[in-house]
Amino acid sequence: MGISELWATYGGMYLQALLTTWAMTAVSYVIAMALAVLITVMRVCPIRPLRVLGDFYVQVFRNIAGICLLIIIVYALPNLGLTLPYRTCVIVATVLLVSAFGSENFMSGINTIGIGQIEAARSIGLGFSQTLRLVVIPQALRSAVLPMTNLAIACLLTTAIGSQVPLSPPELTGLVSYINTRTTGGIATFLISALGYVGTALVIGFVGNRIDRKVRILR
Amino acid sequence: MSAQTTSMRDALYEAPGPKTRRRILIGTVIAGILVCLLVFLVVRQFYVTGQLSPKYWSFFTRPTTWRFLWDGFLGTLKVAAVAGAISLVLGLVLMLCRTSHLKALNVPARIVIEFFRGVPSLLLVYFFFLVVPQYGIKMSSFWMITLPVGLAASGVLAEVFRAGVNAVPKGQVEAAMSLGMRPSKITFKIVLPQAIRFVIPSLISQFVVVVKDTTVAYVVSYPDLLQNARVLISNYDALVSTYFVIAVIYIIVNYLINRAAVTVSRRTGVKIIK
Repeated sequence: MGISELWATYGGMYLQALLTTWAMTAVSYVIAMALAVLITVMRVCPIRPLRVLGDFYVQVFRNIAGICLLIIIVYALPNLGLTLPYRTCVIVATVLLVSAFGSENFMSGINTIGIGQIEAARSIGLGFSQTLRLVVIPQALRSAVLPMTNLAIACLLTTAIGSQVPLSPPELTGLVSYINTRTTGGIATFLISALGYVGTALVIGFVGNRIDRKVRILR
Repeated sequence: MSAQTTSMRDALYEAPGPKTRRRILIGTVIAGILVCLLVFLVVRQFYVTGQLSPKYWSFFTRPTTWRFLWDGFLGTLKVAAVAGAISLVLGLVLMLCRTSHLKALNVPARIVIEFFRGVPSLLLVYFFFLVVPQYGIKMSSFWMITLPVGLAASGVLAEVFRAGVNAVPKGQVEAAMSLGMRPSKITFKIVLPQAIRFVIPSLISQFVVVVKDTTVAYVVSYPDLLQNARVLISNYDALVSTYFVIAVIYIIVNYLINRAAVTVSRRTGVKIIK
């Protein structure tokens, strides 16, 4: 199948798939970031059970394979009395995975600040919330820009697990399998989807680098 | 990392006074109860839906079950090892091309690296599974899973290696040049041996990504851990328990690899590049 014929037949579906991938990435990333902040707060708070729970959450979801998690959510949870629509399943799996890595990024952002600065903040009379608000959080956010950019790209790539469940409309990876199980689409079917991913990743990387250059702290 | 993390965590707070200590204690008790309640609710949900009944779990006491899972695990290891080896070699070659001064080498290498980093490994798997056979090329299911996983990792590894090369002090290269060494000799005798030492912890932690990527092996029906688990499920009709066990196995294996990376990184004093 030539590329023009392919585009004439499936062009609309490719656009829809790209939009689906974008939508799932954006939604998952935003929720995951909020969750990552919450998990990180749990991990640094003085209440021990919350710390342990936060650490446990991160260890579980950064070490489980995405496909494995998705399969559990799609096929095992209904047996436990929780059935979610396929699209929600994909988003939930992505959120769980990405938020664990996001919390790790925040933690290493906090760790780069150094104990000396916090001691300095305390010695000039700043209270706990002031130390957090004026010293810790601004610096942690700034040094987390680049890792979070990479995480956004990882989030984009993670949504490809959506190809393992019958989504309608399918996302970019699922569409390649959809087309090629119906016709012999050839290498172009793959390249169009790949272009969608690589292009999006480049844009995310470009924006992230611009932000990072503006806010980076040179040490 | 955890030792440093703990100290940083604790540095955030002043030593608590009696009032705060009481408040923390109350918070701890409440949080403890809530966590216990959460665990209880999950277990209850398992119980209520009948998933704790022995018929779902008893076959895990049979050695044949574990032998079958072990076979699957070996399959996973085989794919991960070969894919890891491919990505090491290819990543190194890509990095050497990327850092070369020849435009003819470094531009294509850049494109290839960006491509493999920007494409999900699942898409590459579908490429080898659905597209490649259309051109009359026959591959075994082993290579249909190993090649895409290896290729996807090579793009990331190329960047990891590059970070390692950049970590070698510039003065050493200049010193070698002033001794009259040829560029290739500088790369292989001075830069690479140190760069590789710098990235060993990062390479170990990247291996986790490879292991995770191998889980899509069931797409090409290669008998890896997850695929064998699916066979078990259709034999015993025990979906929840089997996936639960498989997930725990993956988590433990990857956790151990991550620990190894952190240990090596701490022992050699080299940071893990993400």
